[in-house]
Amino acid sequence: MSDKKVRDTRLEDAVMRGELSVFDFCCQKIEGQIERMKERNPDLLWTLDIQSVMWHNYRDAQKSGKKLVFFGGPVPVDIIVAFDCIPVYLDTIPIRLSPNPVLTGKFIDSAERYVPQTTCGLCKTYLGTALEDQYGSKPDAFVYSAVPCDSSRVVYPNMERIFDVPTFSFDYPYRRDARGHEYLVNQTEKFVEFMEELTGTKLDWEKLKVAMGHSNNTYELQGKCADLRKRKPCPLPGRMLVLNGTSNAMACFPEMAELLQKELEVGEMLYELGMGPCPNGEKHRAALLQNMLWSSSNVMDWLEKEYDTVAVMDAFGFQHGDLYQDLDDRHHCFTVMAKKMQNNPMIHGASGPSEHFVYLVDKIFEEYEPDVSMFIGHIGCKHTWASAKMVTDMIQDKYGIPSLYLDVDGIDGRYKSPDEIKAQVAEYMDTVVNK
Amino acid sequence: MDYQKLFESDINQESVKAWRAQGKKAIGYICCHVPVEIMQALDILPVRIRATGVTETPEADTWMSTFSCSFARGMLQRWMDGTYELDGIVTSDGCMMSSRSFDNAEYQGKGDGKLYMQIGAPRMYQGELERNYYREELNDLIKALEEFSGNKLTDEKLKAAIEKENKARGLVRQIFELRKAEHPVISGEEALKITLAHCDYPVDEYIAMLEAFLADAKNRKPITDSRARLMIIGSALDNPGYIKVIEEKGGLVVADATCFGSRPFACDVETKGDLLDNLAEFYLNRILCPRMLDNRVKLQKMIVDTCKEYNVQGVVYEKMQYCECWGGESLYLEPDLKDVGVPMIEVEREEHLANAGQLAIRAEAFIEMIED
Repeated sequence: MSDKKVRDTRLEDAVMRGELSVFDFCCQKIEGQIERMKERNPDLLWTLDIQSVMWHNYRDAQKSGKKLVFFGGPVPVDIIVAFDCIPVYLDTIPIRLSPNPVLTGKFIDSAERYVPQTTCGLCKTYLGTALEDQYGSKPDAFVYSAVPCDSSRVVYPNMERIFDVPTFSFDYPYRRDARGHEYLVNQTEKFVEFMEELTGTKLDWEKLKVAMGHSNNTYELQGKCADLRKRKPCPLPGRMLVLNGTSNAMACFPEMAELLQKELEVGEMLYELGMGPCPNGEKHRAALLQNMLWSSSNVMDWLEKEYDTVAVMDAFGFQHGDLYQDLDDRHHCFTVMAKKMQNNPMIHGASGPSEHFVYLVDKIFEEYEPDVSMFIGHIGCKHTWASAKMVTDMIQDKYGIPSLYLDVDGIDGRYKSPDEIKAQVAEYMDTVVNK
Repeated sequence: MDYQKLFESDINQESVKAWRAQGKKAIGYICCHVPVEIMQALDILPVRIRATGVTETPEADTWMSTFSCSFARGMLQRWMDGTYELDGIVTSDGCMMSSRSFDNAEYQGKGDGKLYMQIGAPRMYQGELERNYYREELNDLIKALEEFSGNKLTDEKLKAAIEKENKARGLVRQIFELRKAEHPVISGEEALKITLAHCDYPVDEYIAMLEAFLADAKNRKPITDSRARLMIIGSALDNPGYIKVIEEKGGLVVADATCFGSRPFACDVETKGDLLDNLAEFYLNRILCPRMLDNRVKLQKMIVDTCKEYNVQGVVYEKMQYCECWGGESLYLEPDLKDVGVPMIEVEREEHLANAGQLAIRAEAFIEMIED
């Protein structure tokens, strides 16, 4: 008789049957995780707080009279919050569901009736959730941008028609100079008008200042956490890099800064103790040249345990720390928003000309001094695959490090199992890194 | 005038060589948002980069990976293997795949003395804001091309270039009108070849060939043996062989919504008023590619209207593998087409005709379904 613990899949089954919404599912899951954490590891409860706040905000916004604004791609979230609306970052949904291939599979399969199988799994999951009408709440508004990629450019306009709610789209310029920023500033002014019409209220600059203040705290702390990763040994585990993506949705909420403050304190404490995530000491430092492995983030833990190798930074989580300097200067603030949007993960390196991608990876190698280079490429990010040789040639030429190329689906775990991924990473580690 | 060259769809570098032999520049352009009129006004030959005829893309695969669309890889392959002998490339930020073709070409071309330039083209068009942004990009382009060519742009030259392009567009539209006939004198394959010729030839030569063809059109034999009138929509289609496979099975492609087909010729640039504003209006407002965020409803309506106008009985929606841009139209388009009694078939394809047999079988089945 197997002594394997039988998993309780009632919540998953309910989602599969269409009886439980995704927001309800995520709330109930995090509540369960918190209960278990209280019993087993109360010291780590802080790692779950942000998720709890976020999912409950999503689910309960309309019950508390707040408007729910779904958004895709980088948009000025601070403004949404200043209007007392709850922003729902679409990417958080596929990322949250991705550890369970059955769940993402349901929504991905639904989307594939209408979009190519090669479309990014993130986009397919949130399109599929809309097609299945399983978010749990209908948005009051939808805001999206023309980046990051062709997948989103196809999926967002379709979702706009499915939702059939007031919608605002940002057109992103490829250039990241004063002209590009001004173009976005002008659109942000229009966006303010859109939000004013949606909510029937004028923009309250004092409320925006509060949101921008929180946002400054978040990005300042995120920068400090990133700096911590430059130390040797790197005190923070690879899987925590995934939190950088959460900043998109939550930067202007105080809970995000609280989480990062805790991360920073723990990291500094571990560093003082000479400790890091590798149980036998840090032997190698890896740079991930593309996304985090959302669907198989346990590969990061395995890499630390099996190969004493910590992922010090990933190219999409590596962000500039654009901070508001003068919170009373409207044009300055909107310019900073423009810069932040353009420097967002998925944007800064991937959506514009490849030179940005090459530049940012170069900075990672300069600043974090990795000796292992992995292009673990999400197959949905075809445009980053099409830049990969430029990036990896630069790494080889400048730093003498050969890169691993490995295709994965960061969202759809059916594409490649964690064991398959581990086997391929292991081969690289054994034959190239540790030869 | 012999117009037969209109039907030589392979990439033609003879005209480019002849042009450059006169000491003039010829510059490649990618995608549909680079105003060729500006190049022509500066006595630069614009050559639209394409992949026609490519059968394998080993070098481009190395740079772009096989997760990229084969048309984009094909363009890069053509650039890398020397099919094109040009003085540079100008691109707009179209789809990510074609942008990457440019990025890789530019990366490899560092220091080769050629002009590599990208201009921004807004992905939506609501008016002044986008128009002004695009105008600034065009001013950058003009400055760079003036410097590169040693020529100076004037309003007169630009107006003359616009008028010539308008004339070419008008002639193409006249030819496409012929396709409305019950028994057209031109097949879908031939129609695509005619529009592809625009990619390579100087506009004067192209106009002369179009006029010669139109003069001779009445002497051509009408096509009377087709079994179904079809419209083709979807990803960049620069391979007439693809349409040939469908037409060999009894389909007759009488209309299209593709970026190498009729769409770039569908309307004209206004010649009165501010010419850069007019170019912006034309390039950002015309319905051509779903890379624009705000044209989906108009694009789909245009397809439905075209079906009615050309008496189309079925739509072939071809999707290049890894082409997301053209990947998501079916959700709303298919029901709209159904409402007007037009069925749609979706077929995945690659740049080269690796799956011609499968396409032939599917096309035949689709035609039979229409006949029933």
